[in-house]
Amino acid sequence: MRYIILIFILFFNFSYVNADAIYNLIKIPNLEVHKVDDVNGIKYLISRRGFVIGDTNNIKCNGINNSDLDREFNTIQNNLRDYNSNFLRKINLKFVVLCKNLEISGINTGGIPDNKFRTLILDLTFNRNYFERMIHHEIFHMIDNSFPELFKKNKWSKLNNKDFSYASCSTCTDLLGLDLEITKGFLTEYSMSTAEEDMAEIYSLLKTNFKEIDLLIKKDNILTKKKNFLINGLKEIDEKFIF
Amino acid sequence: MIKKIKPSLSEKILFIFLILLIILTLGSFYILNNKCLFVKKIDLNNIDFKDKQNIAIMEVECGNVLIELDPKIAPKAVNRFKKLINRGSYNGSAFYRVIENTLIQAGDIEYGNVSNLNYSKVGTGKSGLGTIKSELSDNFLFNAGSVAFARKDQFDTEDSEFFITLIDIPIYQGEYTPIGKVIAGMDSLKKIKAGNKSTYVLKPDYIKNIKLLVN
Repeated sequence: MRYIILIFILFFNFSYVNADAIYNLIKIPNLEVHKVDDVNGIKYLISRRGFVIGDTNNIKCNGINNSDLDREFNTIQNNLRDYNSNFLRKINLKFVVLCKNLEISGINTGGIPDNKFRTLILDLTFNRNYFERMIHHEIFHMIDNSFPELFKKNKWSKLNNKDFSYASCSTCTDLLGLDLEITKGFLTEYSMSTAEEDMAEIYSLLKTNFKEIDLLIKKDNILTKKKNFLINGLKEIDEKFIF
Repeated sequence: MIKKIKPSLSEKILFIFLILLIILTLGSFYILNNKCLFVKKIDLNNIDFKDKQNIAIMEVECGNVLIELDPKIAPKAVNRFKKLINRGSYNGSAFYRVIENTLIQAGDIEYGNVSNLNYSKVGTGKSGLGTIKSELSDNFLFNAGSVAFARKDQFDTEDSEFFITLIDIPIYQGEYTPIGKVIAGMDSLKKIKAGNKSTYVLKPDYIKNIKLLVN
């Protein structure tokens, strides 16, 4: 019994030490290294005990166990391998933090990008139907945050019909549906919330189901312009970029 | 006439036991108070330096620490480090930030000197030489004894503060500008006073002096 307690204490101590070193780097506590991907250099960090961060402690996420990780890790890694290390460096993404039941200011969310610390926090328990899309959606936010001059919101907004206007923020509206639902110039209900979310929705849908979505886009004049707008910006970042 | 009373055997044993107890208590007190007691001293004469131009000798409370600088990986950073050593800027610099058994940090020249330690500002001081660009390397392994420049949350903000890792921290690879490696004296660094979870150590240990082996 005494050896079991000793082993437990040692294990706890090692995790704690590593967590402190990681905290030093990205200011998220209670993390441990899961894997460093030698394909694109992404460092995957996991939270076993959960964390609360943010200036007002408004970002919360619970710890994950091995079964959570086994279920989703390969999906995340495969999707992120679409991006090479050079592109990731440009969009300031180096660390991916995996946890579950992620929320910001009490609102559940699939991911939170943090360009300052080159970190993307992902919720492993996010709705499976939209999980892969969510990853690319958040990646687009990192792209947008890194190159706002390439994705100007006022220019984008002018691509819509004149009688349309976005909400002032993505959570200030009831337009939260993520299912494919084409309305003039939009692919989902959530697209209508803000210009940023509209861009991220089109980007993520093209990234995860290019053939089908591209056919739908071609039938819609506004969506075609929006797709071209995105491609022009993305080519500025990486001239070889393809969806 | 007063009759002399001889102590019994049990009284003698009790007396000896009390004496031993006092010795043990005083000995323990001495050992506990002398954190450097079991730290092996470095004899510079016994070390065969390969590159004498790039050896820094840092004296801390428990002895000397030898750092081999690596200008091939980070020439500008090593140049800055040497410049600050030669100016004497690091002498008295407090290890104000210590993550126990993980890393120690010093080098705030403006607010982190023990003679003028400003607890409210330590960690924000400047050297007056300006910042330098990050010199990151995927070939420098952050194992125990790695010395690197600290920075703010962004790159290219390195100035004078540096840290030394006490354990392997591979996740730091490519994240911080390396300066060199500790080649002797790790035991002395492990004895540096740690704080609690606050942002700085109260009454911290400090660098007594640091100099280059060859100027």
